Amino acid sequence: MHIIEVDSVSKKYELSANKGAVSLKNGIKNLLTKEEKEIFWAVNDVSFALNRGDKLGIVGSNGAGKSTLLKILSKITKPTSGEIHVRGKVASLLEVGTGFHPELTGRENIFLNGAILGMSKHEIKSQFDEIVDFAGEQISRFLDTPVKRYSSGMYVRLGFAISAHLNPEILIVDEVLAVGDADFQKKSLGKMREVAANDKTILFVSHNLTAVANLCNKTLHLEKGRVKQFGETGEVLSNYMAALQTNRLEQSYATFESAPGSQQIRLKRATLIPELLDGQTYLDIRNKININIEFWNTEPNQQLNVSLHLFASTGECIFNVGTPPGNFGVGLVQANLEIPGHFLNDGTYHISFMVVKDKSIVLYNFEEVFNFEIADFREDTTWYGKWPGYVRPVFPFPIRQLSDSI
Amino acid sequence: MNLIQQKIKEIGSDWELLVILAKRDISVRYKQTILGLSWAIVKPVATMLVFLFAYKQVAKIQDISGYPIQLVIFSGILFWNYFANSLQAVSNSILVNSNLISKVYFPRLIICFSSIAVSLVDFLVGLAVYIVLALSLHQDISAYILFLPLALFITSLFALGFGLIFASFSVKYRDVQQIIPLIVQYGFFATPIVYTTKQLSEKSWFLYYNILNPLAGLVEMFRACLISQYELLTVQNASISILASVLVFIVGIIIFDKREDSFVDYL
Repeated sequence: MHIIEVDSVSKKYELSANKGAVSLKNGIKNLLTKEEKEIFWAVNDVSFALNRGDKLGIVGSNGAGKSTLLKILSKITKPTSGEIHVRGKVASLLEVGTGFHPELTGRENIFLNGAILGMSKHEIKSQFDEIVDFAGEQISRFLDTPVKRYSSGMYVRLGFAISAHLNPEILIVDEVLAVGDADFQKKSLGKMREVAANDKTILFVSHNLTAVANLCNKTLHLEKGRVKQFGETGEVLSNYMAALQTNRLEQSYATFESAPGSQQIRLKRATLIPELLDGQTYLDIRNKININIEFWNTEPNQQLNVSLHLFASTGECIFNVGTPPGNFGVGLVQANLEIPGHFLNDGTYHISFMVVKDKSIVLYNFEEVFNFEIADFREDTTWYGKWPGYVRPVFPFPIRQLSDSI
Repeated sequence: MNLIQQKIKEIGSDWELLVILAKRDISVRYKQTILGLSWAIVKPVATMLVFLFAYKQVAKIQDISGYPIQLVIFSGILFWNYFANSLQAVSNSILVNSNLISKVYFPRLIICFSSIAVSLVDFLVGLAVYIVLALSLHQDISAYILFLPLALFITSLFALGFGLIFASFSVKYRDVQQIIPLIVQYGFFATPIVYTTKQLSEKSWFLYYNILNPLAGLVEMFRACLISQYELLTVQNASISILASVLVFIVGIIIFDKREDSFVDYL
């Protein structure tokens, strides 16, 4: 007997010119004119079934329909078609501290949030001390302070502590682990593993593939709303990673006329090639990355240099490096950059570069030329939380015993 | 009827959540106790004083119905504030709590029902002021005050029904929200709040007026509960208002039920 059965579930959104809420006037106008609407299937014909005790990881790129699927499973939104059968009490954690009211104290918010998540008053009361204890010493000191005075870290800790003490048969979790400091993430993942150890059923959406690999026995890979693969975690994840990773990125243009750029300079070719180790199928934090840029220059005797920016997915610039300026004539110019391994942390990055004249005049900025992902790699570790930081250098950092006495 | 039964069951099964959401609204409102409480007192008293000034000093009206003018106005304002605040709270409840609705599932009606709690507390505070006012004017409190909960209940049905209709449409059509302040503003004068039905009862269109504005019967129902020997509530008025309230409530539930599944898509 399956505990969750999802049978060809689809969810359609109509994208009209005015998306979401509209004014009454436009609403009436739409009724009268029958405007052509663009139809978008956020979730398209998804089916799978889980047994009691299964831990399902849901992976996929942004916009693959993961969040919509979770909302359908949590009954927050109805599917356009298809059926879902759930046998058991469900709690869904789509964010930490849902419904926290800033004016209320930590204590009041524990009861409020607990009730919203489906705990009875009695359950909250009996677990109250444990929740406070789990949230940490700082929270217990500020239990009667309005949460608007909490730091964001405290807010998240309290929110997670409450959700960690839910006792549903089926738990639906969305990325909540991506928050909080490293220390707290460690604690939350520990709690997740503890929950995973008993026969609870968990559905877990995450970009943290390391966590999925370690917590989940089954994985669902979504792509553009459809099921790409559903099955054992190891198998699905390795296919997913291989598809996700581009081991060679190249942009090249055959003729000057068709190439992007300005009157003076045009891009001929740009490649990004990681140096993979033997048996490796995709790029991870250990690998060296070679970037090669070739461009045409149409003016004689120019002082040019290339300046390259690497951005994190959040839009922050991680670094900017430039070639030394040189004098170039008409023809092809090439620049090479080597980003060492064990330097960038895992994550999604994009690269832009510009060609600069006389050290200050930007001739052309080639934006988002490469978009790539670096996977995590760990050996001999018991911790699977997201490694913090944008860079992950391996500096010499020795530790030794200085003496035997205190 | 099945739908109503099912909805009431839904609310009953999540009663604890309803209570805690109501408590949340009340404690946020009264968190700064002095300000919250005084607001519930100052607002109706100030409104009454303004009308007393307009009647006695400007228009030179001393008597509007044969009952103490302060009590007539104050009881009317108490009723109106309860109705208007509830209507506004219910109408906005889905949008105000959109963060909850888009993140957790619970019967959506709960948030609409719990949102009238604040108006209810404000009403009780105002009622205490009314009693002090009546005693200071050496007026008896009507024994019918025991029926006040019933009048409150019927008014709540009316406010909920209307509020649910507005809440259902305002999620998709945001400008529907702007209609409510207008209803509250014009309704105040179109309903016998600062006057009574006595001045209207001899008109040939009085029956139609009551049908068109069931609030008229409701406010007289409140006065009959509060002012001793108040005789302006007729059986006809009362039955029209009760019927209209029940009808509006049922229509509100039906419309809400039809639309609640699509709320999240527009939030």
